[in-house]
Amino acid sequence: MKKNKSIGRIILYILLIAASIIMLIPFYWMLISSLKLNKDVFSIPMKWIPDTFHFENYKIIWEKLPLLDFFKNTTKLTVITTIVQLFTSCFAAYGFAKMKFAGRNLIFLIYVTTIAVPWQVYMVPQFTMMSKFGLTNSHLGLILLHSFSAFGVFLIRQFYISIPDELCEAARIDGLNEYGIFAKIVFPLGKPAMSTLVIFSFVNEWNDFMGPLIYLDSTNLKTIQLGIRMFISQYGADYAWVMAASVCSLIPVVIIFIFCQRYFVEGVAASGIKG
Amino acid sequence: MTSKQKRKVKNNLVGYSFVLPNLIGYSIFILLPVIFSFVLSVMEWDGSRNPMVFVGLDNFKHLLEDSTFRISFVNTIKYAVFTVPITVVAALLLAVLLNTKIKGISFFRTAFFFPYIASLVAVGAVWNMLFQPDYGPINNFLRFIGIANPPRWVVSTKWAMAAVIIVSIWKYMGYYMVVYLAALQGISPTLYEAASIDGANGWKKLRYITIPLLTPTTFFVMIMLTIQCFKVFDLIYVMTGGGPGRSTNVLVNFIYDSAFVKFKFGYASAAAVVLFAIVLVVTLIQFRGEKKFVKYM
Amino acid sequence: MKKIVVFLLSVMMVATLVTGCGKNDASKDETGNEQSEGADAKSDEGKSDEGKKTLTVTTWDNDTTPQFQATIDAFETAHPDVNVEVIDTSADEYNNKLTVMLAAESKDPDVIFVKDMGSLLSMASKKQLLGLDDYIAKDNVDLSVYSGAAEQLQVDGKSYSLPYRSDWYVLYYNKDLFDKAGVPYPSNDMTWAEYEELARKMTSGEGSEKVYGTHNHTWQALVTNWAIQDGKNTVVAKDYSFLKPYYEQAVRMQKDGIIQDYATLKTANIHYSSVFKNQQCAMMPMGTWFIPTMMQSQATGETNFNWGFATIPHPEGVKAGATVGALTPIAIGANTDVPDLAWEFVKFATSEENAKTLAKNGVLTGIQTEESLDIIASADNFPTECKDALKYTNYVFDRPLDENIDEIRTVLDEEHDLIMIGECTIDEGIKEIQERVAEIKGY
Repeated sequence: MKKNKSIGRIILYILLIAASIIMLIPFYWMLISSLKLNKDVFSIPMKWIPDTFHFENYKIIWEKLPLLDFFKNTTKLTVITTIVQLFTSCFAAYGFAKMKFAGRNLIFLIYVTTIAVPWQVYMVPQFTMMSKFGLTNSHLGLILLHSFSAFGVFLIRQFYISIPDELCEAARIDGLNEYGIFAKIVFPLGKPAMSTLVIFSFVNEWNDFMGPLIYLDSTNLKTIQLGIRMFISQYGADYAWVMAASVCSLIPVVIIFIFCQRYFVEGVAASGIKG
Repeated sequence: MTSKQKRKVKNNLVGYSFVLPNLIGYSIFILLPVIFSFVLSVMEWDGSRNPMVFVGLDNFKHLLEDSTFRISFVNTIKYAVFTVPITVVAALLLAVLLNTKIKGISFFRTAFFFPYIASLVAVGAVWNMLFQPDYGPINNFLRFIGIANPPRWVVSTKWAMAAVIIVSIWKYMGYYMVVYLAALQGISPTLYEAASIDGANGWKKLRYITIPLLTPTTFFVMIMLTIQCFKVFDLIYVMTGGGPGRSTNVLVNFIYDSAFVKFKFGYASAAAVVLFAIVLVVTLIQFRGEKKFVKYM
Repeated sequence: MKKIVVFLLSVMMVATLVTGCGKNDASKDETGNEQSEGADAKSDEGKSDEGKKTLTVTTWDNDTTPQFQATIDAFETAHPDVNVEVIDTSADEYNNKLTVMLAAESKDPDVIFVKDMGSLLSMASKKQLLGLDDYIAKDNVDLSVYSGAAEQLQVDGKSYSLPYRSDWYVLYYNKDLFDKAGVPYPSNDMTWAEYEELARKMTSGEGSEKVYGTHNHTWQALVTNWAIQDGKNTVVAKDYSFLKPYYEQAVRMQKDGIIQDYATLKTANIHYSSVFKNQQCAMMPMGTWFIPTMMQSQATGETNFNWGFATIPHPEGVKAGATVGALTPIAIGANTDVPDLAWEFVKFATSEENAKTLAKNGVLTGIQTEESLDIIASADNFPTECKDALKYTNYVFDRPLDENIDEIRTVLDEEHDLIMIGECTIDEGIKEIQERVAEIKGY
């Protein structure tokens, strides 16, 4: 019995390691390309380990791109949007999951189905409207646009539904009102779902390209993805630099994820549920 | 007013108070433009101060005759049919595997999640290189294991869609894995303990405890994936640009081109309404499914 | 609850750490400033804090070519009371961004550099451009200096733009590679068949050392342009059989390894400039916009080899010096709040005076005089002996002023793809083009 288990474990490890390698190969390629000479990136046959490492590529892009400004802008947009989205989504999700009010299902259905409308369709009317409000070419406009996501409401609602109603019922009997139940019971229980939403909106906002493209004109407002995209358009030939810029844009998101990941494990341990 | 009615009104108000902060912002910034663009679907408009003209269902009639629309429609369905089930199964399996206590779990979780956080611009360039038909590592590997004529991937009308689907699964399965992982935390361990006492093995626990209890999540994942598949644009834009020819042209490509190349905003909206209708039907079917399953919980 | 707050704070801290690099306070201040700056720019258009007038101009890829910045700098020097604000977008997304901005009918942009003739036509028909005829009449602008180009830009007999740049195709070559092979440089009078022969001769090496005789970038224009060079056809046609010999040549050259494989170029998204700059090809047909790029690259030391260019080869039976090209017009947004200032800029940008400034940077303008050619030829890093190659005997537009041109180009691009990767035969491709264009044009 025990032997079986350890064999199973070894197989599991082998499988997981093989799969992880496949998942990570493109990133390895990205990283080594960023350390090659521009002309060697696509040299044939492909070299998996470059002969020499050209770390100066990172210095070059640092000089060519105002990366620091881009990072600052992107961080500002991403952090504010994520926070606002998280709180409004949780609040609304509680309404949709645990409350009964007239028109609830209809409103929820509208939420879900508008997720299905591609932004490209309503981009022009939306921009026209924002332009009338005087909110184009400012970070505020983009933050407002991205802070009220139907996706977030949907994601959190699905999680809240799986929280047993008996818990809320018991709290009601104990004299808690709905806001109290939300703040003291449901909201804390929703941590795992919230961290998935944080990651989702963080990644989306960080990597968003079309939004900043359409809404931001001034160079001092631009974001990292916009910067990289412009860099690719201008230095399309210089792939090592493009890859170096991509690696730079990845680092902050990786750090955030590692933080979230830790939080994940801690949150699970704290609530006493183990997988 | 009876006290029952009073309570109902109060309940309604409390309910609205929860929903409103999000609903207001959402209505102004998203719903309003969406509604406007839907109205456009029965109009002819070139995106300027030239007047809009009401054309009734003409836009929809033209869609039926448009060969590019037909091709993008079929391509979108193809993409969704392959991507949704494979991603759901892969994400669920990964989540279950990575929900055990083994060494290096953080590394594995990070590895599988990594593709999701990378920006598409960079990812698209890298994958195109990996898929390079003559010298690319993927085909080198296929030749190594004895496939004499490996597919030409992104430069073949037959295989370009497959390449896009592979990258799509690679990129998004990690996210849904995390969603599943979050949901798995909500399952009480006492259930598994009880099952163990009853002598259930790992498969039975998965089949009779995990999967049924994950139904709301699966429902969510399926809807989100379906929607995401019908909305796919960026990935294809950076990988193939809809090519070669029109072989990976999808509905949003079509909508985008209609609006920004042909300046037919009404026509683009009509195509969007069709897309919307499909997703609505699929979602409603899945809603039904959810109700049915949630009862058993 | 507490945990969440702690978590979010830590996220923010990490974020500021990453971006602020230790100087947290400074970064806070700066983001604050940025916002107010953005608000300022919006609230009092046309006037910035120092009492300067502001003019917004849209450009693409402004950092890599001097073509826009040289004019903007010269204008600011000539008008010290004006502050030119540039809205720069990458070339690929330029038209899309412009479409959205113009649809909103906001005051910006004032001046628009128009990327291609198709978008000029669509913007004019959507009434998004200011008519220039009154200004032209008022200031007695002599349109004859543009040798017909200004008239060619008219839409329904009205001027909405003036020619800013003019570009046409030439044949670049790497002198060092020709010298090494002991082959004479390409001449200004070659047929496409002779060009192919020369390319065959110049192909050498294997694997990563291979030097291709010539380089065809992935644009469909680099095949179809030569088919319309004689001026008898345009890319909007009922019968596309005139494309056939040129596709046959392209496919043949690809099969024989004289040009790089299309599929490789496409998948790796390889930019033509890298191929030429890395000396991987001996020749390359490309537009004159590549001249300033090469000059800049030589000046900065990015490349260091001898290069030159000849007039583009011509079809059998067409006089040498016939070329294909396009204009870059400059126009004024219909909703501008400073129309007079915008006109001032347009007039300045298209003046003979500015043509000289641009010529110094290797940029060819709508005004072609012996003098401006001399300035270009004497500029640093310009291959002086190639001055004659800048002359052409006949010039046709790469695409006609047709309202469906962008749609038709999409068709040509898609079918070009299929022919070049070998997914369909040339005949099938041409048949498909014909059917789809007929569908668009209603033939």
